[in-house]
Amino acid sequence: MKSIESFNDLDDMTRTAVVDLLYRLGDDALVMGHRDSEWTGLAPILEEDIAFSSMAQDEIGHAHVYYQMLHELGEPDPDTIAFGRKPKEWKCAALVCVPNNRDWAFCIMRKFLFDSAELVRLAALTNNSLVPLAQLARKLKGEKNFHLMHDRLWVTRLGQAVKASQDRMQRALDQAYPLAMGLFESTGTDEVLAQKNICPREADLMKEWESAIIPVLTEAGLQIDANAQPVLGGRTGKHPEALGELLNSMQLVYNIDPSAKW
Amino acid sequence: MTDSQLPVYEVFHQQARGEPHVYVGSVHAPDPEMALMLAKEQYARRQACVNLWVVPIEAITASDYEDDALFEHATDKSYRESWGYKTPKTTHRTDQESPAE
Repeated sequence: MKSIESFNDLDDMTRTAVVDLLYRLGDDALVMGHRDSEWTGLAPILEEDIAFSSMAQDEIGHAHVYYQMLHELGEPDPDTIAFGRKPKEWKCAALVCVPNNRDWAFCIMRKFLFDSAELVRLAALTNNSLVPLAQLARKLKGEKNFHLMHDRLWVTRLGQAVKASQDRMQRALDQAYPLAMGLFESTGTDEVLAQKNICPREADLMKEWESAIIPVLTEAGLQIDANAQPVLGGRTGKHPEALGELLNSMQLVYNIDPSAKW
Repeated sequence: MTDSQLPVYEVFHQQARGEPHVYVGSVHAPDPEMALMLAKEQYARRQACVNLWVVPIEAITASDYEDDALFEHATDKSYRESWGYKTPKTTHRTDQESPAE
């Protein structure tokens, strides 16, 4: 398949599909980063607090570059994308919206499932036909690799430590897994993206994701519920109430004065 | 003072290949792999880094500050110091610290 050197070479249908993909990636990253940042000052040990906060910042940085690319595609600037949209305009999966509830087991499990999914997608995107997007994926992949290394260490240790921690991790997996399946909700644009060799079909990515996470979960002594059903709706703007609350807090200053500089 | 936290690992940071690993601080971690991961975020986040070492603090045998006599020079030994000799910078790092000629 021929490579697409620049966004100007995209036909309208493909362009719409790429915009949809970038909103999904960017919104997941920003909301995940925001949720993870809520652990600052609260993580189990000081070193982890610093590491977790740093990765939350990485995630927000990823959102910024996705939004920057959207801006190049004719969408509003990154600040307007982040602060100027109502919940129903967001395309993040429910997984990242769910509040932390100071539940470390859930948040570590969520981050593991999320980073694994991101890495599978970024790995596929590094070889995609849209050159600027492939370059971006190559740039972000290294950092994601580290995030996943971090998550894997926590998941396997908490899973193997004592019965209480294993039980909590299993509960966390049972709660997070159906939500994480929602990361691969098809939006109808994935067929276009697959045909243009830009991004594989969501169903195919999900299979790859499952084969990536199962060895780690098995090592941790944890099991996926084979009957789990994906929580859908995020990609089309149907979100848990919690996203509205998160955005109210994140967009507070912008809503008072969109031109404020801080 | 006893440390009630996780075991301590000392962290050594290498800025570029061929440079020495420099002691930068420590992390608390349950095992070496976790120590390495946490050290990366504490000590290699901002400055350039190509390699990190983590060493369990128990693995280090240190001299005692009370034994300062160990390091005292009883006689003038300056004739033994290498900065008096011209050497290529690339092979002798101590040369960089020699007084200006």
